[in-house]
Amino acid sequence: GDSWGIFTFLCAALCNLPALPALNCSEELGAGQSIQQTYDLTRYLEHQLRTLAGTYLNYLGPPFNEPDFNPPRLARAERVPSATVDLDLWRGLTDNARLAANYRAYSRLLCYLRVLDGQVGTAELRHRLAHFCASLQGLVLSIGGVMSSLGYPLPAGPPAPSGAPPASNDFLKKMDDFWLLKELQTWLWRSAKDFNRLKKRVPPAVVTLRLEARGF
Amino acid sequence: MLSGWNWVACGFCLLLNICFLEASGGLVQSCGHIIPESPVLALGSNFTALCILNESCLDFGNIYASQIIWKIKNRVVPKEQYREINRTVSSVTFNDTSSLATPLTCNILADGQIEQNIYGITITVGLPPEKPKNLSCVVHQVSQLTYPMICTWNPGRHTFLDTQYRLKYRWARESFPDCVPTDVNNSCTIPDVHFFVNLEIWVEAANALGKAESDPLVLDPIDIVKPLSPHNLSVSSGILPTVLKLSWENRISDPVMKLKFNIRYRITGDTNWMEVPSEDTASPRTSFSVQGLRPYTEYVFSIRCMKEDGVGYWSDWSEEKTGITTEDEPSKGPSLWRIIDASHSPAFWTVHLMWKALKPYEANGVILQYELTVRDKSSLSSPLEKYNVTSTNLTLQLPNSTYEVTVIARNRVGGSPPSVLLIPASNSKAPVKNLRTLPKYDKLWVGWTAPNSYVLKYVIEWCLVSSTSDCIIEWQTALGDVQGIDLKGIKPFKCYLITVYPLYADGQGSGQSVKAYLKQDRPSKGPTVQTKKVGKAEAVLTWNHLTVDEQNGFIRNYTILYKTIDGNETVVTVDPSKTEYTLSSLTSDTLYTVRMMASTDNGSRSGPDFTFTTQKFGKGEIEAIVVPVCLAFLLIVLLAVLFCFNKRDLIKKHIWPIVPDPSKSNIAQWSPQVPAKHNFSSKDQMYPEGSFTDVSVVEIEADDKKSFSEQDLKPFDLLKKEKSTSEGHSSGIGGSSCMSSPRQSVSDSDDGETTQNTSSTVQYSTVVLNGYRDQTPVQVFSRSESTQPLLDSEERSEDHAGGGDSTAERQQYFRQNGGQDETNTDRLCFERTKQITHANEGDLVGFVQLQISGQSSQPLGLGMEKNTQEAALSNVLQTSTEGQTVRPEIVEENPLSVDEMPKSYLPQTVRQGGYMPQ
Repeated sequence: GDSWGIFTFLCAALCNLPALPALNCSEELGAGQSIQQTYDLTRYLEHQLRTLAGTYLNYLGPPFNEPDFNPPRLARAERVPSATVDLDLWRGLTDNARLAANYRAYSRLLCYLRVLDGQVGTAELRHRLAHFCASLQGLVLSIGGVMSSLGYPLPAGPPAPSGAPPASNDFLKKMDDFWLLKELQTWLWRSAKDFNRLKKRVPPAVVTLRLEARGF
Repeated sequence: MLSGWNWVACGFCLLLNICFLEASGGLVQSCGHIIPESPVLALGSNFTALCILNESCLDFGNIYASQIIWKIKNRVVPKEQYREINRTVSSVTFNDTSSLATPLTCNILADGQIEQNIYGITITVGLPPEKPKNLSCVVHQVSQLTYPMICTWNPGRHTFLDTQYRLKYRWARESFPDCVPTDVNNSCTIPDVHFFVNLEIWVEAANALGKAESDPLVLDPIDIVKPLSPHNLSVSSGILPTVLKLSWENRISDPVMKLKFNIRYRITGDTNWMEVPSEDTASPRTSFSVQGLRPYTEYVFSIRCMKEDGVGYWSDWSEEKTGITTEDEPSKGPSLWRIIDASHSPAFWTVHLMWKALKPYEANGVILQYELTVRDKSSLSSPLEKYNVTSTNLTLQLPNSTYEVTVIARNRVGGSPPSVLLIPASNSKAPVKNLRTLPKYDKLWVGWTAPNSYVLKYVIEWCLVSSTSDCIIEWQTALGDVQGIDLKGIKPFKCYLITVYPLYADGQGSGQSVKAYLKQDRPSKGPTVQTKKVGKAEAVLTWNHLTVDEQNGFIRNYTILYKTIDGNETVVTVDPSKTEYTLSSLTSDTLYTVRMMASTDNGSRSGPDFTFTTQKFGKGEIEAIVVPVCLAFLLIVLLAVLFCFNKRDLIKKHIWPIVPDPSKSNIAQWSPQVPAKHNFSSKDQMYPEGSFTDVSVVEIEADDKKSFSEQDLKPFDLLKKEKSTSEGHSSGIGGSSCMSSPRQSVSDSDDGETTQNTSSTVQYSTVVLNGYRDQTPVQVFSRSESTQPLLDSEERSEDHAGGGDSTAERQQYFRQNGGQDETNTDRLCFERTKQITHANEGDLVGFVQLQISGQSSQPLGLGMEKNTQEAALSNVLQTSTEGQTVRPEIVEENPLSVDEMPKSYLPQTVRQGGYMPQ
């Protein structure tokens, strides 16, 4: 890990010397910048989801849009990867395992989200959902990039969504959507923490240094 | 012709085709074709086409590949480019496709004459696309959540072909649909981009001839964002008068992008922007307090933002918002000055206090009022006078003394520091030195040399000097350490009077003044010159100074130009202080044209022409000529008068010639006695030295006759007639009578003899007259009744009275006669005439005797004289008788003066013979 860090640092330094945007050599730059970028993206998705969820829950209507609405998790919702793992246990995992878990979870969530996208009625919401989906796709890619830059093998391709039958009635379907958004929020919140931690552990690249010096 | 041929060929072709149709059993079949079909060729490459004939056609119409003609449009391709591959195939080769045009046709020359088209192809020539260069992208934020990305590139050269440009972009393992530009070939807009994932972007250009890709651009779109500027900017004033607080809303959320800002501001009405230091606004925020502003001033603010790390683009400047800072106390007191008018009474001044309204940045608010205090410094006990005014001047009547005036400007917040002006009783301190001005573009610089002592400040007064309006004083103050200021608002071509007063801590220096122009011009008119006095060779010119308004500058000199009509112009330069000049060395009696020119530093202008004529004579010249002439004339007149007077006898003689007494002529004839002659000649002998032969003696007597009255002249004329008849005879007698006269005076003493003579003459005369003439009876009568004695006496009295006057004349004539005694001249002459009568003959004496007897009736006085005369006469007669021996000589002489001789008788006759006028 250390030697990688030094290597990436040197790479970043070299790339920044000619004052070119450091992005041109992101592949070589590797982990440092990728982690930072993934972290920023996670925060951005969190931000997007906050507004999107509000809009979407309103679209679903009451009681889903009530702030204190906290329904029990239905069994059929288990197909949505849950982030409700014990925090200590989660921290105990290796970076690789956590990254892989993230990768898998977002791949899975993205699939459900795309299904959701097709059902939304209003164009505005659909547009925002599509934008969110695309960004989430980017996050999956980013995590993959971080993993590869850190030398971890990518987990196997996301298993096809289990052939669970679509919800029989509208309320249950809305319940699924509610939980999907809720899980997404949890995942993104946790991922942000993960990447922040990872970012600190990985020897910073020049860009990282600069950002940290500015109080990030 | 050619097209005609073509039609013929087509018609033939159609026939052939119909034949083929029949031959091939109903199928429409071409007789051949070209390979390749419709090629797209690169410009400059080489190209070969083949025309392949169908076997069936060969059989039917004896058509072979050797008969093929290639054409580009209507132009036949040269045969050198053909190659016959076999009977049915002909090829054509072009080394450069740029010479190609469409269509390319393959034709057959059927029967050696008729050209038939077999097949044609279209050819497209163009270029493969170049590699697009300079790809760059910007993400423009158009709304809170919409971030389209616009990429632009340089497509390179024109391809002449339909070329597709595609903007391709992808993530590491995911591609997006291409962005295809519409209408343009050098930019494309991706409607939605996703941040924080690196994107690879490139451009692909493709046409029929090839494909080219630009270098890929890999970037995170978040790094190329041009965000929307912050909006809803608001400005609020804080507690401090120098601070304004800005607040705004950002249109990009913090998780997306952290922002830094630029804030710029300016005073309303000013054009220069100031900027808040960028370090102060380099972190995300939605408000900022701008400090260090002026109180009570309106500012305009504007803000922009960009990504905090400086990667990306600045947004546009936001809309401008204004805000006003709160009021503050005035920062300084108003400049204070005074004008003292002491003209009304010496003991009381009219003091016009005036001060300048504070500039907005000094006033720091709305000035509500000015507070003035006036204190008499000469007496400590005098009260402090206070005035509150809203205007910027105050006029006070104050007794002549030293005062201290203060003024404070007050606004809502507070009062300014006081401005103090000391008005001393007299400006006794040192003035500034070396006051001077210098124009600087549109400003007038006033400079001076400071006095030796410390000066608090200077007051510069100036005013426009004009003849039509009063000098309205403007003024301004300058600090004590400056030695020059620029005056603004100075008009060109106007005269300004500038005065500088130094103000000391304890008094005031006297003002130094200077006149100045910002810019000078030539005078607006020239002086009008006139003559005050014109002489013969000089003329005094006068003129009035130009008014200040006409001068347009400092008059440096006057130039007088004068000339005669045909002469050269003479130029004289005159000092500008003069209003009079004397032109000298002019030509007399000449028309001169004179004009005058006033000159400033920037030119000169002439006044109207004035003409004058010099005089013919100089001053005193006429007098010098006239006076002598008059004098000379007078002298001549005088001389002439004198001459005439002197020569009056002679003149008389000329004008009234003596008519001889006819009676006397008779006597001459009648008395031939020699003794008488003897007497005369004896007389002459006795006085040979006297030589009284001169005729002039007789003339004098004639002259005297002239003075007689008209009355006398009448009888005289009568006598003349008488004389004319007896002229020749009387001559000798006259001459002798004259000669006898001088001797008479000598022999006056002998009275006895005269009496004797007298008695004898009376007898004679009476006889002669009667005998000689027919008229005589009349004369005889008259004689007897004669009043002669009376006339005679009158005559004598006249002689006596005029004796003094005629003395000189007589003297002259006597002088000719030898300078005889003058004292008796009168009487001599008188006696002589009598003598002549006596001398003529003894008869004459008798005649006189008659007269005398007649005189006895005269008054006593006269009678006395008569007696003496008679006595004298008798003497003469006596003497004449004695000098008879000389007589012949005299007779000889007498004929010379024959003409004159008779004249001598006339006066005698008149005088003696008072009886003549009857």
